[in-house]
Amino acid sequence: MSQSPELVLAPGPHLHAPDTTARIMWWVNGSLAPAALWGVFVFGAGALVTIASSIAGAAGAEWLACRALKRRASLADGSATCTGLLLALTLPPAMPWWMPLLGGAFAILVAKMMFGGLGFNLFNPALAGRAFMMATFPLAMTGAWLAPRAHFAARLDAVTTATPLAVLKEHGLAAAMKLVAGPDYWSGLMLGFRPGSLGEVSAVLIALGATVLVARGIIGLAIPLGVFAGVVATTMWSGAPGLHLLGGGLWLGAFYMATDYVTSPSTRGGQWVFGFVIGALTGIIRMFGGYPEGICYAILIANALVPALNLWFRPRRLALAGSPS
Amino acid sequence: MQTTDLLSFGRGGVHPGPHKQATAGRPIEPLPTPHEVRLPLLQHLGEPATPIVKKNDIVRRGQKIADGGATGVPIHATISGKVRPIEKYPHPTQVIAPAIVIQRQTVDPGELEFPEDPEWRACSSEEAIARIREAGIVGLGGAAFPTWRKLMPPRGSEPETLIINGAECEPYLTSDYRLMLAYPREIVEGSLAMARILRVARVLIGVESDKREAAEALTAACAQTDTGGIPVAVRLCAVRYPQGAERQLVEALTGRVMPAGALPTAVGVLVQNVATAVAVHEAVRFRRPLLDRVLTVTGPGIHTPCNVRVPIGTLIGEVVAYCGGMSDDATRVVAGGPMMGRALPRLDVPVIKGMNGLVMLTGRGPQESGFGPCISCGRCLEACPLGLEPDQVSLRVEAGRPLDTEPYGALDCYECGCCSYVCPAERPLVQFMQVAKSALRRSAAVKAIA
Repeated sequence: MSQSPELVLAPGPHLHAPDTTARIMWWVNGSLAPAALWGVFVFGAGALVTIASSIAGAAGAEWLACRALKRRASLADGSATCTGLLLALTLPPAMPWWMPLLGGAFAILVAKMMFGGLGFNLFNPALAGRAFMMATFPLAMTGAWLAPRAHFAARLDAVTTATPLAVLKEHGLAAAMKLVAGPDYWSGLMLGFRPGSLGEVSAVLIALGATVLVARGIIGLAIPLGVFAGVVATTMWSGAPGLHLLGGGLWLGAFYMATDYVTSPSTRGGQWVFGFVIGALTGIIRMFGGYPEGICYAILIANALVPALNLWFRPRRLALAGSPS
Repeated sequence: MQTTDLLSFGRGGVHPGPHKQATAGRPIEPLPTPHEVRLPLLQHLGEPATPIVKKNDIVRRGQKIADGGATGVPIHATISGKVRPIEKYPHPTQVIAPAIVIQRQTVDPGELEFPEDPEWRACSSEEAIARIREAGIVGLGGAAFPTWRKLMPPRGSEPETLIINGAECEPYLTSDYRLMLAYPREIVEGSLAMARILRVARVLIGVESDKREAAEALTAACAQTDTGGIPVAVRLCAVRYPQGAERQLVEALTGRVMPAGALPTAVGVLVQNVATAVAVHEAVRFRRPLLDRVLTVTGPGIHTPCNVRVPIGTLIGEVVAYCGGMSDDATRVVAGGPMMGRALPRLDVPVIKGMNGLVMLTGRGPQESGFGPCISCGRCLEACPLGLEPDQVSLRVEAGRPLDTEPYGALDCYECGCCSYVCPAERPLVQFMQVAKSALRRSAAVKAIA
């Protein structure tokens, strides 16, 4: 009788779906590549430095924290890279290299590792990093906007400019639309010939990446559609809902920040409410708050609602009379 | 036959790769008589059987060798030969347990004869149940509950629908499929025999739609059989795991949702597997005991995948040898399907009544490299067919608070494995559920004493 001492004794199920945490994270990173490369294309090599230093800050902090806390190294799961990349895409394209480095390190050390690491953080680490940078480097974070490639935008002669949403807040719709280059206003807005954060400008490329994630079942549409609905509902009467939808970081926030698994609700019902709250808060901050852009703080505020939303929207138990708790 | 709308259950479920093509086209082949069989006294739920043979007795295939007692079933010699000393041997589910070992002799006296009872269709319910009990039949879908006990539901919970389970939703397995193609008449006759015992109003046979030929064979068999006024219908179900789980099949075929912790009789249904139906037909018509079972031997780690009929008690090593042996890179031998089956530590354990397949897997399995933290992706919540919360259960068990898991449904879990299958962090969610369940049950038992 053949004895096989090398047989593996493991509990079932003995099959696993192809997706793992690392695989999901690297797909997210990959799907962001077109939008990131577009940022480098329209804003120049400085954008590449921002991306690289932000990722380096996040990944270095993750490695250091794992060493210091004597945890299993988690760099390979791609989540720190994802945080660094996402943070870079929300930043102005021209910054001194050490600022994104610090921002990335803050995002991982304070917003993620101090909460217990992957899966335990309450707030989106990339956006917490951005909020930290807004508080620490206010001038660089609000004044370092580059015009999209000058040869595409002949009518602008200054190198630095303001974002469409900032101009919309100060000078109105017509002035804001002047910032948009490209074939015409709307296609310029969609394609990303406008000043703005490094990775937010091309709605089309973000949508392309998001389509890949949706098609692979990595993200659902409940949160992004909820965000768009919330923005439309609050900005409908402002006269510029189109600019609110396309002129800021809404697409990047809705498809990539708000859908972060750890900091969003787990069930469909909670996801709709979460998305709508983010959209509505974004519109309210943009129109009535002190900042031209509100998606970052809207998501961070909504992150705090997630534990409650998970309690209110639980799966319906089959075969049970009355719900527990 | 219904071919347009496929029936299915309401929520959850997963679609693992079917992997059935390796054996779906292979008819059932008989295994040559093995050198020895080891027949554990406990292969069913209930009390173990009591041996009625002793060392050096010569027994013939089909002869009863152990008595079933009040709650169990008897055991029969599945090959002719000489009884070895009754000792403890490795057991596929109980680690080590007493078994009767029969060794083949050079002269084979052959199987006992089981002549047909010409009046078998007219035999009384009591007589039919006695024959099923004497034949040692248990649920052959995997649970191995004594069939005679299942066919005697307590007064007040008599079912009106008998469901015959031909879903075979586990990946890789094709034993029920080949059985439905080879013995459709016997399945229908066995189902009708059980329907007469239970006095149900109808029989529904549920088959997943990737086994359309089997459904057609069964439909043709229904048309050729005198059903005695009991309507028998074949229903096609969607290919979706765990379609063949009792709760999910009952919901798919009748639309009825079983209450938590209840048996199908709570909603007027009783479920039996197709292989059980074949065995019941043999028992009632010929008084022939359950001697063989059909096994799918498959997976990337076996040389020649096939569907094979083996005498119960045959050592798995002999079955593997018949299939050309295992490949060098085989790492796991799973008894049953890969979703709910259990990995075997060794090959010198016998095939028991409830074992429907052997799947040899290669490479690293899930969780072998450890598992990560929950990232709250919600996939387990979507996959759970019962709407339980494996993520919450796992977090509480990890935190050392298994008694706080009841609100999240730990006690309702029947371990289909959908949650572990989808978890991207490869968390062993089913095992967390098991830990929670046993802690909750132990605490309930302690409270009952105090």
